[in-house]
Amino acid sequence: MTNNVKIAYYPGCATHGLSKDVDIATKKVAEVLGIELVEVEDWNCCGGGFLDERDEVTHTALNLRNLSNVEKMGLQKMVTPCSVCLQSHRLASNKYHENRDLRKEVDKRLKEAKVEYSGKATAEHIVWVLVRDVGLEKIKSFVKRPLTGLKVGAYYGCQMLRPEQVMGFESAFKPHSLEDLISATGATPVTFPMRTACCGFPLMGSNPKGGLRLAYNVLDSAKSSGADILVHPCSLCHLQLDVIQLKVKNEFNVNWTLPAIYVTQLLGLAFGFSPEELGISKLAQKVLKEKGFA
Amino acid sequence: MENEQEIVVRVKRFNQEKGEWWQEYKLKVDRFTQMTEVLRRIKTEQDPTLAYRASCHMAVCGSCAMKINGEPRLACKTLALDMVKKYGSNVITVEPMDFFEREKDLIVDMEDFYSRMFKVKPRLYPSKEVLEGKAEHRLKPEDQRELWKFEQCIWCGLCVSACPAVKIDPQFLGPAAHAKGYRFLADPRDTIYEERLKILVDSAWRCTYCYMCFNVCPRDVEPVTTIKKTRAHTKFLKERTPVAETGERHIEAIEESIRETGKIQEASVYLKTYGVLGSLIDLIYAFQNGKLKYALIKEEKVKNIEQVKKLMGE
Repeated sequence: MTNNVKIAYYPGCATHGLSKDVDIATKKVAEVLGIELVEVEDWNCCGGGFLDERDEVTHTALNLRNLSNVEKMGLQKMVTPCSVCLQSHRLASNKYHENRDLRKEVDKRLKEAKVEYSGKATAEHIVWVLVRDVGLEKIKSFVKRPLTGLKVGAYYGCQMLRPEQVMGFESAFKPHSLEDLISATGATPVTFPMRTACCGFPLMGSNPKGGLRLAYNVLDSAKSSGADILVHPCSLCHLQLDVIQLKVKNEFNVNWTLPAIYVTQLLGLAFGFSPEELGISKLAQKVLKEKGFA
Repeated sequence: MENEQEIVVRVKRFNQEKGEWWQEYKLKVDRFTQMTEVLRRIKTEQDPTLAYRASCHMAVCGSCAMKINGEPRLACKTLALDMVKKYGSNVITVEPMDFFEREKDLIVDMEDFYSRMFKVKPRLYPSKEVLEGKAEHRLKPEDQRELWKFEQCIWCGLCVSACPAVKIDPQFLGPAAHAKGYRFLADPRDTIYEERLKILVDSAWRCTYCYMCFNVCPRDVEPVTTIKKTRAHTKFLKERTPVAETGERHIEAIEESIRETGKIQEASVYLKTYGVLGSLIDLIYAFQNGKLKYALIKEEKVKNIEQVKKLMGE
């Protein structure tokens, strides 16, 4: 990738809300790597992974509006740091192309609202752009503070990987993009059994007890495999594993925590930014301090 | 034969007497060799004690579900050399499905799966007139198209074996049963809608949207999609369980927030879902982790909100 590449950037609601630190770190890291992230003009919510249960036509139409705005900006690739936003946009354009009954209804709404979508703009994950377009060698060349000795659990969660037939970047069962990025920072990646299991966030709106159990299972699995800290690729995993990590701790009455940070926060640390500059949470800062990286 | 390649098949074996062990077999395969054929040749040419199920060899009977290189798959729908290519190794691991009780080697007890399926009454309940031959209930093509995808289940059990929610929640029916249940819930010829709602709605809110079932289904049934569609019927259920009630409040809050601002305003969605007390508790956790400053951000409204409203069908 040559310097100063322009890519449309879709933060999504959580990345501009409780997971604001994901936004802060992603922008800083992109700037270092010479990627110009241009926020999608007047973007709307993708539905947060829930709106399609209400009405598939509404969900598809709203996601296509964002992609249409990307096309209006003269761009074709829309990158997002949030796996749920990513999956929502990819599922929407997939359904629009495959389901003619749905397309007919969506087209009516698009016409009514004067939204034009050619089908060319697509959503991609920031991790994909980093691994495939920027490249690990280039990332390594910007590392100022190698995170040698830090054991980082590579947690993928669900929606960056599945469904594999719609996401298509890597195997949903043996992914390695996060391990590759972790290695690029000099840290030691920890591959643990529950790395592609659900963090439980989508259950928090209906069956929070179940949601917290899933979060605990992931954290426990990574902790038992020797991770000092967890890295994940999703603004909603961030809400579950970082923002309310202490709730999980209290619910299961355990005497340990396993702080979770976003993947660009890890890269940011290696690029020389301080944990404060990257908005890293108190719990994670404590671990980083103990390990001598803060 | 030309283009043959040697593979090593590592099978996770099991029997009641010996417990579990791994065993390796070597054989040559070509680009047409299905994993069911691999297993058949191991059994007939090398080791008659190996136990597995397979029947139709064309992804119709659902007998040969197992884990191949860690992926829940039908053995008949998996070509050995595709796995070699995908994972860059001529060693292929074969294990029984997760979750179900093991009987012997790759054979699991499917009783748990069947009982889930029978709970959702997996057949059509037509009207009295139709049963007595006095009327005919035709299905419109667009209704058939809605149901078609969800009707393709072959009861293989892969989705249930890979589902994280069935493992933590005995009240969740599991993906396959939901696909089957929705297929009849949405069938205009069926007559037990109310009863189906009672069976399906609470369970639908216990799915965690991990998309594992969508990923592993060899017939592209998309069980998770039927769970989403079933949730949309919650408003027709008179007596709701706490799980369904909270879920419905949550999605109503999300829809309202998007309708008003084009975005999810976390604070208002939280308040409407969990009430003041529930929201405060989470706020305290956020505060302890240094995140309170982000909780107070009010996201900018979409400027062209009229366009959003039109797209939402107003």
